[in-house]
Amino acid sequence: MAREVMDQDRPSRLTALALAFLALIWVSPFFWLMTNAIDPAATGQLEVPQSIGIDNFVQALSGSAGRQFVNSMLIAAGTATLTVVVAISAAYPLSRMRIPGRNAFLWALVLLRMLPATGVIVPMYFAAQAAGLLNMMGIVLALTILNLPFTLLLLKNFFDTVPIELEEAAYVEGASLWTILIKIVLPLSKAGIAVVWFFSFTGAWNEFLLPLIFSRTEAGFPMSIGLYSAFGRQGSIDYGFLAAFSIIYAAPAVGVYFLLRRNMNTGFAGVGVKG
Amino acid sequence: MSDVTLKNVRKSYGALEVIHGIDLDIRSGEFVVFVGPSGCGKSTLLRMIAGLEAISGGDIGIGGRVVNNVPSPQRGIAMVFQSYALYPHMSVYENMAFGLRLSKAPQAEIDRRVNEAARILQIESYLSRMPKQLSGGQRQRVAIGRAIVRDPKVFLFDEPLSNLDAALRAQTRVEIAKLHETLDATMIYVTHDQVEAMTLADKIVVLNAGVIEQVGTPLELYRSPANTFVAEFIGGNKMNLLPVKGSASGVALPNGRTVPFAGSDLSHAVTLGVRPEHLERVGADSAQISGAVEVIEQLGEFAIVHFRTREGDEMTIKLGGAPDIALHEDIHVALDPAVGHVFDDAGRALRAPAG
Repeated sequence: MAREVMDQDRPSRLTALALAFLALIWVSPFFWLMTNAIDPAATGQLEVPQSIGIDNFVQALSGSAGRQFVNSMLIAAGTATLTVVVAISAAYPLSRMRIPGRNAFLWALVLLRMLPATGVIVPMYFAAQAAGLLNMMGIVLALTILNLPFTLLLLKNFFDTVPIELEEAAYVEGASLWTILIKIVLPLSKAGIAVVWFFSFTGAWNEFLLPLIFSRTEAGFPMSIGLYSAFGRQGSIDYGFLAAFSIIYAAPAVGVYFLLRRNMNTGFAGVGVKG
Repeated sequence: MSDVTLKNVRKSYGALEVIHGIDLDIRSGEFVVFVGPSGCGKSTLLRMIAGLEAISGGDIGIGGRVVNNVPSPQRGIAMVFQSYALYPHMSVYENMAFGLRLSKAPQAEIDRRVNEAARILQIESYLSRMPKQLSGGQRQRVAIGRAIVRDPKVFLFDEPLSNLDAALRAQTRVEIAKLHETLDATMIYVTHDQVEAMTLADKIVVLNAGVIEQVGTPLELYRSPANTFVAEFIGGNKMNLLPVKGSASGVALPNGRTVPFAGSDLSHAVTLGVRPEHLERVGADSAQISGAVEVIEQLGEFAIVHFRTREGDEMTIKLGGAPDIALHEDIHVALDPAVGHVFDDAGRALRAPAG
């Protein structure tokens, strides 16, 4: 009996083969992407590159493609930073002051945000048009507004976990409200702020529809739109360029992942020291 | 000059008044303990002195200056919180230096004062550690150190020992007493533990439901409680209170026997109080009160014996050593009128033992 169990536990050749096959299927798109990106004469076939070079990457970072990278960075970093700043300034008082119905208010905002953003894109477009904001600033503002309900709720809950006594202790020692926020509350909410910043960043980086509608000129397109338009360039598709462009487009997400991991590991430690 | 005066201090939350006009004088260098059951307003009172709660009426003076509208940092106070409130993201050194850094003290001065406080509290070896790496007792010292560093006129302690275990609490109690001796500063200390109040205080303020029940030295409160609340609250073992019938010459116990009290008119007496340590166990023939043993709390050094009198009142007696008595056995006690407390129907003391 025991022996049968052991036999079952032993990996069989068949499962190894099946797993290898699955892995191959899983990896092949990434392999395709890499080989085409480093092959200056890429044809879009899954094959070993004839020659190797960085021409595709250079192309993907220069000219209008380079400008799209800068645009994406500006939109993503701008949205993330604006979201964090506005959310902190609103969530801290919401956490500390006894405002009647504050939770109902926050959840109502979240409920509104549960509706697809596409549903409000037409009124938002007209509002932005009236305010003269059909540009990158308009995109950043619109994305920030869409981000706020969730980030407010998240940050308020984070601030709730910072014991009020820490603030009282700092106040007795002579700290102003501003000092308390900068030196006590924000360092202790680092993990929450990091989450909000990184999620806002990736969200804005990936956003497609809003920039497409708000950007009136090609010079204002971010990478997400650039990738879309690269499919039909001059009637034929430059696969090498497209692959390199995709890798650059995906890179910040990977970077954000590692930054987030580092911040999450250090951020939670030490909150709420008690006896 | 670091005396603290409270004049008719009140606190209300909306229509609900929780502190009903407190008058109190705390002299410079005095160790005053606010004691009372939870919800009696003692912490609120402390927080009003600290400037963490606004006062709804009256005046608070520190060092001869009315501080009603003076912000907390300018009151010359330092506070030690129940949860210690150490900044978790700062080292012990930075926790203690925080206030000095805010006041832009020069680095040499910060170093000198932090090291001095660390020396007094014997925490020099962990100045570079983070709060989470410290035990409860060590955190407590850092919290006190943070107060010492600021060299305040008045120290405020809000139940600082309640998160420590019993042994550490006893030890830290002694250290706080020594600290008061060393620093010679005014200290106001809030606790619900009457042992801390008795052992630490120069002056105890017993609070109940937002009013002061009595102010006095520990021995004054033990010997002459002003009312039944203080009588029951102060003292290691709860005072026995028996319903009695008063007369001009003494009081009649529930079993009809009379305890004579010479020289005072006790015709309004309704309650007789006697501490368990003042009752005397006697033989059946000289018993004033008899009952049956219900619980024996054996503590080695002494035992607390709970018994129910024949008339149905619950009483306790403290007996030295390991007394020769068993559960459900009869117990006979006598009480010397010299140790009896007599209270009227409002609970006010009519008579307290002499000395």
